[in-house]
Amino acid sequence: MPMLDIKNLTLEIDTPVGWVKALDRINLTLEKGEVRALVGESGSGKSLIVRAIVGSVPDNWRLTADRLSWKGESLLSMNAEQRRKIMRKEIAVVFQNPQASLDPSATLGDQLEESIPAHLLAGKWFWQRNAERKALASKVLHKVGIKDHQDCLQKFPHEVARDVNHKMMIAMALVSEPELLIADDPTRGMEATTKVQLLKLLTRMNQTKELSILFISHDLLAISSMANTMTVLYCGQTVESGKMKQLRKRPLHPYTKALLDSAPSFRKELPVKSDLSALDGTIPTLQHLPIGCRLGPRCPRAQKECVKVPAVRRIHEHYYSCHYPLHRDKL
Amino acid sequence: MIRYALRYLNLMVLTLLVLSVVSFALAYWFPGDPLTNLSGIQEATPQTERFLAEKYATEHNLFVQYWHYMQLVFSGDWGVSFSSGLPLYDEITLALPATLELCAYAFLLSLIVGIPLGFIAGLKHYTGTDYTVLSLSVFSYSIPAFWLALILILIFCLQLGWLPLSGRINLLFDVPHQTGFIVIDILLSDIQNKSAALNDAFRHLVLPTISIALINTAITVRLARRSIIDVMSKGYIIAARSRGLTNNQILWKHGVRNTLLPILPLIAAQITTLITNAMVIETIFSWPGIGNWLIQAIYQRDYPAIRAGMLAVSSFVVILTVSIELITRLLDPTRDKNERGTI
Ligand SMILES: Nc1ncnc2c1ncn2[C@@H]1O[C@H](COP(=O)(O)OP(=O)(O)OP(=O)(O)O)[C@@H](O)[C@H]1O
Ligand code: SF4
Ligand SMILES: [Mg+2]
Repeated sequence: MPMLDIKNLTLEIDTPVGWVKALDRINLTLEKGEVRALVGESGSGKSLIVRAIVGSVPDNWRLTADRLSWKGESLLSMNAEQRRKIMRKEIAVVFQNPQASLDPSATLGDQLEESIPAHLLAGKWFWQRNAERKALASKVLHKVGIKDHQDCLQKFPHEVARDVNHKMMIAMALVSEPELLIADDPTRGMEATTKVQLLKLLTRMNQTKELSILFISHDLLAISSMANTMTVLYCGQTVESGKMKQLRKRPLHPYTKALLDSAPSFRKELPVKSDLSALDGTIPTLQHLPIGCRLGPRCPRAQKECVKVPAVRRIHEHYYSCHYPLHRDKL
Repeated sequence: MIRYALRYLNLMVLTLLVLSVVSFALAYWFPGDPLTNLSGIQEATPQTERFLAEKYATEHNLFVQYWHYMQLVFSGDWGVSFSSGLPLYDEITLALPATLELCAYAFLLSLIVGIPLGFIAGLKHYTGTDYTVLSLSVFSYSIPAFWLALILILIFCLQLGWLPLSGRINLLFDVPHQTGFIVIDILLSDIQNKSAALNDAFRHLVLPTISIALINTAITVRLARRSIIDVMSKGYIIAARSRGLTNNQILWKHGVRNTLLPILPLIAAQITTLITNAMVIETIFSWPGIGNWLIQAIYQRDYPAIRAGMLAVSSFVVILTVSIELITRLLDPTRDKNERGTI
């Protein structure tokens, strides 16, 4: 049984043009110890999936799912207190915008220490627990590569550099020793060396502590080095998912292929000065979603059939939703 | 930081300078002899007149006169009142604290009622509670303070007879003047029936305080509500929730401070409105404050009193505004400390 199991997750948002499905029957699973990459263009709804898992969708949005469960228990039907406990102990999130995710009026130390759940502290008296918190905090800061931690803990978010805040967010997620880490674009804007450090750290945590990771990123190169599996999202629909290796070697969905091709380092022999082959056009906005397969207007293989939503099909562990997948010959 | 404070001080000094020039000019603009308007002494003997002319340097040019005037202002010699013949400095330092006392209580009341109400409305926004609080605040905001005062008098003094109609304390109690705040003065004094005096002072305070506080409470409610709605949808609140903090922890550790920081300057800036309202309300309740005193001075064409009163009140408001602005900026860790100083 997968640890995180999402089936047909649909999220509807009330826009000026009526209700639109920002997420349309998303499927996603995550086993213990698995690292899953979640990729897709900007605006494809990756961060919305995170919000749905975390349970921070606004009250005036409609969230439905056949299954949204954590270790077999439905996150949707459990009460707020149970869900809060799971978030406290078992799931940690690094949000996309580290700057906005830190309270500007509290010191970094306070925020880091409050992320430490009580079950990690053995002390009986509050001063013992305080000391333990301090120790845990500086330990995790070392891990994420902040050196002058004593100094840093006293500071407010606006007093330190962006990348320190960024590392701080990662430290806050790791300090609770979660079983699942959801990292929304954690490497964005990072320097190359810092990025390598972070990827190494996450790989190590994954290997030694069996930390499962849902890794959301635009950086296909970084992600392919550490992820076991990948889910490709386009415009609020899961278009393809399966083992990383298989997807790279033989993508079945036209969008996945376009995505992989657009990452230059993935192509073996790149002809000199050839165009980077991405798809024409841009991702449609929520107000102008095409009917049927949402890739339709941009898809080189689109046919009449594509105005109907393609069903999920499967070859072994490899899922895709397309009427005319790449393994079928040119029609 | 120092540069920032200096900028504010600069602004304050300039404003005060302008105010003092205007007050000096008033002596010339008002009808009658400038010397009489400055000193407040009418029908002076030739001997006194010579003495005054030297004191205010009337035979010198205007700059020298202004310079002498400022020296007198700083030494506390503000002239005497036409109507009472008493030194204006003494009269004003007696009346101003009475107004401030009223303002202080009204301000506290508006905070104690307004902030929690705004929080409750904002946390339950778009529910029945929210709409009720919001419409109440719109309603209160649109009631003119003096009209409310009259209605309150009509109900609680004239109809029900529960509360006294005017004044600050029953004349039976002889409270010696110390701080000018009647409640503190009673507590400091050694009169016999302290608790009775205190009770009486409170009964006198109730209606004027409420009349003044209502509008400010309404404004505070709306500010707090808007601010907490903004804050609760911020990324760090979502992040805090994703860390599994309880709703109470989120509210107290991240919500309250971030809600109050941006609105404190706005709330504090309302104090000037409050003082203006207080000065109007005083006349209705015959409260012996500076507003009442100024109105009387205007009725009686007491030019020295108008001049000195205007200078005292406006300087006080300017100093207060700048200090509030400076303090709120110093307290706020998130605010960019290099912003330009503005009033
Ligand atoms: N609060 C919101 N209200 C209305 N629409 C929203 C809101 N948040 C996101 N959306 C819409 O949902 C869609 C998906 O947004 P989302 O932030 O999940 O994209 P993303 O895949 O995370 O993109 P990026 O890679 O840039 O982070 C976008 O079209 C966006 O406009
Ligand atoms: S279903 Fe049609 S439009 Fe959609 S990806 Fe497949 S071929 Fe393209
Ligand atoms: Mg995103």
